[in-house]
Amino acid sequence: MISDETLATILRSIYVSGTATLLASVWSLPTSYVLTLKRRVGVVEAFIESLVGIPTVLLGLLLYLLLSSSGPLAPLGIKLLYTPQAIILGESILVTPLMISTSYRVLKNSVVMYSELALSLGASKTQIMTLIVKESLPGVVASIIMSFSRALGELGIAMMVGGNISGYTRVMTTAIALGVVRGEFEEAIALGLVLMAIMVVISVTLKLINKVYGID
Amino acid sequence: MGLLHRLVLVASVVILLVVAYYLLFPLNQYVVRLKVSTTTSLYATGLLEAIAEAFRKEYPNVRLEFIAVGSGAALRIAERGDACVVLIHEPYLEHQYLMKGVIGGGRVFAYNYFVVVGPKNDPANISGVDNVLEVFRRVYVAGELGRTYFVSRGDNSGTHLRELMIWGLLGLNPGNTSWYRSCGCGMSDALLIANELEAYTLSDLGTYLKFKKGGKLQNLELLYINTDDNLTINIYSAYIVSKCGGDERRYGELLINFISKDEGGVIRDYGVKEFGQPLFYPVLENESKFLSIWEWFAYRRFN
Repeated sequence: MISDETLATILRSIYVSGTATLLASVWSLPTSYVLTLKRRVGVVEAFIESLVGIPTVLLGLLLYLLLSSSGPLAPLGIKLLYTPQAIILGESILVTPLMISTSYRVLKNSVVMYSELALSLGASKTQIMTLIVKESLPGVVASIIMSFSRALGELGIAMMVGGNISGYTRVMTTAIALGVVRGEFEEAIALGLVLMAIMVVISVTLKLINKVYGID
Repeated sequence: MGLLHRLVLVASVVILLVVAYYLLFPLNQYVVRLKVSTTTSLYATGLLEAIAEAFRKEYPNVRLEFIAVGSGAALRIAERGDACVVLIHEPYLEHQYLMKGVIGGGRVFAYNYFVVVGPKNDPANISGVDNVLEVFRRVYVAGELGRTYFVSRGDNSGTHLRELMIWGLLGLNPGNTSWYRSCGCGMSDALLIANELEAYTLSDLGTYLKFKKGGKLQNLELLYINTDDNLTINIYSAYIVSKCGGDERRYGELLINFISKDEGGVIRDYGVKEFGQPLFYPVLENESKFLSIWEWFAYRRFN
């Protein structure tokens, strides 16, 4: 029913957006943890929140100019344009503000609720951190899922820096866009349904895992 | 600093380094990547994939990568050195970039015809007219009388510039009228809008046939096609990008040669089976004829 090419596109989408999300969490989660320990971060918070809705095609254009053969990175021998790695890089930057702002809120709540209590009970710094991370895990996981969804569903970056090259950088959203241009609406809708199904399955699975481990 | 703090820090740095390495040195460098920026119409019809398949049989170590964008963007990408070959159908723009030295080694390799499509009942009464200027004049009159709409691409594409040129030759400027709808969109969207509004529009034949056959344009009919009208000839050219070098350039030149000769008759036969007629015609030995038509378009701009 599903052609090999379509299947490859679906798997590539998951791989690209998944890697991008993991990459983003490497710097986003520690950043939001550090933010919870600082006072007076209101301005930083507002700034990051305002970046959540950045148009993907704008970010795509900026990255294109950065990675282009005439761009500032070209003399360093970095040839990333029109590769899956370029999409990964772009999407990881795209979801960073979303991940920081959503996980920050959860972490901050835990810090407010538990850190002084734990401190008064004589816990060490490491113990406090472990406690906070454990208590806010469901929220952080939700933040990661949201970021993954945003990465999986974005079109502008994949189009601009990926180029929608068949069998190489074509992901679900760019394949849908191509289906529309080609008048193959049925295929576009089928891919759209797959896209939605993946998001739902992943979200439900993670919720179940949370429940089983009794964190929720 | 607690143990966990340190652990998280070290792990983050390690992961970042691994990812950075992987990002900087992408795998699979054993094939030659040949990047081709192209106008959407060539790619959306599927012709380029057919060409790529034939080319792959001859040069299996080359991977053709098509970046399908508008004519303007295709040239901008070339200017920045991000593609090696450009396939395009806008002589005026091509001429500008040739003068700048961005592209060279041009060959006209294929042509087809712009057509005018419109509502079945043809309120502007253009069927049977034998030149595109008269067609547009009648659409203008019908529009002014409030009987119809015209959908313009409005996106500086080759098709859009041709439309503006025809209005310009007539000395008409419909830009500010209420019946002239500029969508700023691709050909497929413009056709769908024309279908909804029961409006006229200028289209390339390939996109129209593809959508018509898919049953998406039930309100539209092909009302004007004239293979003797030079104003509706749509010429596709291939160029090598000046900044491109090495193996990519060598294979880029081979590709242009391959396309110009239409080896295997890919261009000639494309679409015959599906639509009962070809969507593109190879230029082949008629190069001098089409080059002179190309030049006529290259030195004119009417907007």
